Amino acid sequence: MKLRLCLCLVTISVVLAGAAPLRPARRPHYGGTLRIEIGATVRSLDPTVEAANPEEADAKSEMDALLYDQRSEDGTFAGIAGSGPFRVSSWEAGKRATFAANQDYREGRPFVDSIEIQLGRPAHDRVVDLELSKADFAPIPAEQARQAADRGVRISISQPNELLALVFVGSRLGKESTRIGEAIARCIDRAAIVNFILQKEGEPAGGLLPQWSSGTAFLFPTEMDAHTAKEIWSQISPSPKLVLGYDLADTLEQSVAERIVVNAREAGISLVSRAMPATGKASSAQAAGPTRGNAIHVDARLVRLRMPSPLPRLALTAFINRLEPIAGIADSPVPESGSPEDVYYCERSIMNSGLVVPVVWMPQVYGLSARVRDWKQPAAGESWPLADVWLDSADPH
Amino acid sequence: MTFRSKLFINFMLALLLSVGLVTAGVTVATRRAFDELNRQHTDALVEQFQREYDRRGHEVLNRVQGIAEAEPTVRMAIDLSRPNADISVYVNDARGVAQSHQLDFLDFVGTDGSIISSAEWSARFGYKMEWVTQKEDWAARGSFLMKLDTQEGPAVALMAVAAVRVGDKDLYVVGGQRLGKEFLASLVLPENMRAVLYLNLDPAFQPANLIDNTGPVVEAERFEPIIERERAHPGSLTEKINWTFDAASAEIFHAIPKLGRQNELLAVLLIGNSQRTVVTLERHILWLAIGVAAIGILFGLFLSWWAAARVTLPVRRLAAGAREVSDGNWNTRVAVRGNDEIGQLAQSFNRMTQELVDQRERLIQSERVAAWREVARRLAHELKNPLFPLQTTVENLQRASTQNPDQFEEVFRESTGILLAEIENLKTIVGRFSDFAKMPQPELGSVDLNDIVRNVVKLFEAQFSAVGRPPITPELHLGENLPTIQADTTLLHRAIENLILNAMDAMPAGGILMMRTTQNDGNVDFEISDTGVGLTREEADRIFTPYYTTKQHGTGLGLAIVQAIVADHSGRISVESEMGVGTAFHVELPIKPPHPQATPVVVEEIHEKKVEV
Repeated sequence: MKLRLCLCLVTISVVLAGAAPLRPARRPHYGGTLRIEIGATVRSLDPTVEAANPEEADAKSEMDALLYDQRSEDGTFAGIAGSGPFRVSSWEAGKRATFAANQDYREGRPFVDSIEIQLGRPAHDRVVDLELSKADFAPIPAEQARQAADRGVRISISQPNELLALVFVGSRLGKESTRIGEAIARCIDRAAIVNFILQKEGEPAGGLLPQWSSGTAFLFPTEMDAHTAKEIWSQISPSPKLVLGYDLADTLEQSVAERIVVNAREAGISLVSRAMPATGKASSAQAAGPTRGNAIHVDARLVRLRMPSPLPRLALTAFINRLEPIAGIADSPVPESGSPEDVYYCERSIMNSGLVVPVVWMPQVYGLSARVRDWKQPAAGESWPLADVWLDSADPH
Repeated sequence: MTFRSKLFINFMLALLLSVGLVTAGVTVATRRAFDELNRQHTDALVEQFQREYDRRGHEVLNRVQGIAEAEPTVRMAIDLSRPNADISVYVNDARGVAQSHQLDFLDFVGTDGSIISSAEWSARFGYKMEWVTQKEDWAARGSFLMKLDTQEGPAVALMAVAAVRVGDKDLYVVGGQRLGKEFLASLVLPENMRAVLYLNLDPAFQPANLIDNTGPVVEAERFEPIIERERAHPGSLTEKINWTFDAASAEIFHAIPKLGRQNELLAVLLIGNSQRTVVTLERHILWLAIGVAAIGILFGLFLSWWAAARVTLPVRRLAAGAREVSDGNWNTRVAVRGNDEIGQLAQSFNRMTQELVDQRERLIQSERVAAWREVARRLAHELKNPLFPLQTTVENLQRASTQNPDQFEEVFRESTGILLAEIENLKTIVGRFSDFAKMPQPELGSVDLNDIVRNVVKLFEAQFSAVGRPPITPELHLGENLPTIQADTTLLHRAIENLILNAMDAMPAGGILMMRTTQNDGNVDFEISDTGVGLTREEADRIFTPYYTTKQHGTGLGLAIVQAIVADHSGRISVESEMGVGTAFHVELPIKPPHPQATPVVVEEIHEKKVEV
C-alpha cells in the first residue's frame, strides 16, 4: 500500500511537473502508434481456432476486444470482424500483429492511429523495453512491479483480482482430504509470500473471493499457524507424502510452491514440489482438465484463478467451474443469488472441503510509457481500454 | 635308479630350489617395492588432494569475503541497519551473486540469523540460520565443511562465512560449494586413480551417498566396511577392494575423513588407486622371471646331466669293475685318474682285485694240495685195508713153503683165494674213484621226476624190509601234475639212489623215509628226509666234500656225486639236519636248465650250500 501511495504521489508529481509544458496539449489528440508487448504467443486470430493455453486465450481475448464490438452472453466477443475500434493491418502469426484505427467505429475513431503488438516477449524484456521507451504498454508480472517501478517504469496496478490457490487433486486424496487441506492451509506463511515473493504486490488469501469484492474475506483466516498444522498432520495416519505441482514456465508458481514446501517441512508435513510440463497457466477463461495433474502424479497443484467479474457470484461460479475438474467439487453449491450470505455459504462450503487452499491475491500490473495518456485500469473481467488511450507525442523517437 | 640319476635328481632339486627361492625372493622384493612405490604415490596424491581441498577452502573463503566487501553488499548492510528496514527487496539478490561468484550456496543472513536471501533455496527467506550468529571469528575460522538442508535433501558443502558490520548490526554472507561429483570432477587425478566421496548424511550406510565424478558408484555396498569403520573411528586408513577374482581389478583406497565444525564426520573421501598397472607390471616381471628361470633350469638340466655323468663316470667304472669281479673276472682293473677320493677308491679297488686274484691263486694252490692230501689219505686208507691181508697172505705162503711144505698146497689154495678177493676189492676201490673222475655230462631229455622216484624206491623195497635189520618205511608224497623237466634220467636215478642209500645208512635202527616232489616257481623240488641219527654242524658243512664220510666203510663220494649231478642240471641242493631227529636233503631242479654246459662261475653259485643246524 505504501508503494502504491508512493507511486500515486510520484505520478501526481510528474503530472503536475509536466503540466505547464503539456498544458496546450492536454486535450487528447489523434495519431501515433501504440506499441504493446505481451508474453503470450497467439497463433491465429480466427475465433474458431481454440487457444493452446490460458495465456494465449487471454491475449486472444484482448485482441478480440480490439476487433469486435459485440460481447456475447458468455463473455466472448462476436460479430463482424472490423466492427471493433481497430482492424487488422498486418499479421505475423505468433510474432507480431498490427491493428489500424477503425475510422468507422461506432463510438468514434480511436485516438491512436495504430496498435503494434509484439507477441512472445519475455517479462524481463518487456520491462527493459518499457524502461528504454521501446514499448508503450506491457503487462508485468506482479512480483516484478516493484523492481520495475524502482527502475523508473510507470506502473498501473489493479485491484487484487487473480487468486493463486493450491488445489488438491480430489481423486488422489482419501477421506483425510479435509484435514490434509487444513494442515496445509495453516502451515503456509502467506504474508511472507506476499512480502517477499510478490514484493508486497498482493494480499494473503484465505477465501475464494477478495475482500474488496465479497466483503467477507476476513472471515477466512490467513495467518500461519505451524503448531496447529503440525497437530492436525499428526492425527492423519498414515501420513501421506504429498507432491505439489506447479507450472514449469511460471517462476512465480515455482517460488510459491517452494515456499509452501519449506513451510510444510517446518510443520512436519511431507510435501515436495515438482514442475509440471509447461502446458500453460490456468485462466479464468479456460479450465484445465484433471488428467494434467494426474499425468505426472501430483497430489496438488497451484492454480491461477483470475476473476472474470467483480461481482462475487459470477466470480465464484466461474471459480467453481474451473476447479471442479481438478478438485472434484461437483457437489459444491453454486450461489443461486448475488446475496452476500449465499455467496459466503457457497464459498465456505468449498473451503470446508479442504480441497482448495487459497494462497495469495495478485493484482494485474501494467507498465506504461510516459507518453501514454488516459489509461484507465480495467476492472476485473474487462478488456484493456486501448481505444481511449492517446499518446502524448505521436512520434516516440 | 642309477647313481647318476640320483645325482642328477639331486642337482635338479637343488637347482629348482635355488631358482624357486630366487624367483620368490625377486617376486617378494618386487612386490614390496611396488607396494612402497604405490604407498608413496597414494600419499602424494592424498597430499595433493589435501592441498587442493585447502585451496578450494581458501577459494570459497575469498569469494565469500569478496562478496561481503563488494559495494552492493555493503549497501545492503547499510540499508538493513536502518530501523524498519525492508528486507524483502533483497530476497532475490543471492542467486545472481552466487552465480557470478560461482558458488553453489549463498545466503544473506540478517543480524538476528534470519535468511534474507538464499541462492540455492530462495524459498527459505525469513527462516533462521542461528549458528551463523554465534560468537565466532569467521575470518579466522576459514572454510569448513558443513551439512546443509537443500530442496533435494541434505548435502555437504565447503562453506565460509563473512560478516559485514554496520553500526551494531551484522550482515552475514554465508557461501560455499557443494561437495559432490562436480567437486570430484574438478580434482586433477592421474590415470588409474579416482576419487570417491561418501556423504555421511544418514544414520546408516547408504549406497546412494557414495559418489564419484560421474554420479553414484556401482557396487557401492563393497565400500560399506570402510565407511562403517570411518564412522566408528574417523581416521586415515587404507583398504584394498578386489572387484573380481582377477588381482588386476583390485583397487587400494585411502580413506580420509572430513569433519565438520563440531568434529562430526560429514564425508569420507576415498582416493582409489587401481592395481591394474602394478599387477600387470608384476605379472610381466613374474613371467620374465619364470622365463629366465625356465631357461636357467633347462641350462641347469643340461649342465646337471653333464656334471652327473662326469662325476659318476669313475664310480660307474668302479661299479662295472665290481660287476666284473662279481662275475668272476677277478683280473678286472679300473683306470685311475687323479688322486681324489674316487682315484683313491679306484686304486683301492685295483689293489683289492689284485689281492683277490693272489688270494685265489694261493687258495687254489692250498686247496689243490689239500685235495691231493685228502685223496692220498683216502687212497692210502682205502688201499691199506686190502693190502694188509695181501701182505699177510703172501707171508703165510712164504712161511708155508718153508715150514710146512706138505700143507703148502692147501695154504696156497686158500691164499690165492684171499689174494684174488682182496685184489678184486682193490679193483672195486679203484673203480669207484674212476667212476667219480669220469662223471659224464648229462644228456637232457624230457623226464618225469615222479617216475624216477617211484622206480628207485621200487628197487629198494626189498632192502627196506630185509630180514635181520629194522624196517624202513618209505613215504611218498609226489606232487600231482608235476611237469616234466629237461634232465638226464640215468644221472637223476643215480643221484636219488645215493640219497636213499645215504638215508638208509643214517637209519640203522630203522625209521621213516619220506620223499616229496613239488613244483615251485619254475623249478621242480625233490625233498628226501630220514629219521636217522642226524648230522653235526661240522658234518653238515662237509657232507658234500668228496671223499668225506662219517661211515666206517664209505668212500665219501656218494653225496659228492649227487651234488655234481644236481649242479650239472643247473640245480641246487641243500641239507638240513638235527642230531637225533633226522636229516633232510632239498633238491631244486629247473624245468628247463638255462645253461646245459654251465660256466664254472654259475656252477659255483649254484653250489651254494644252505646249512641250518
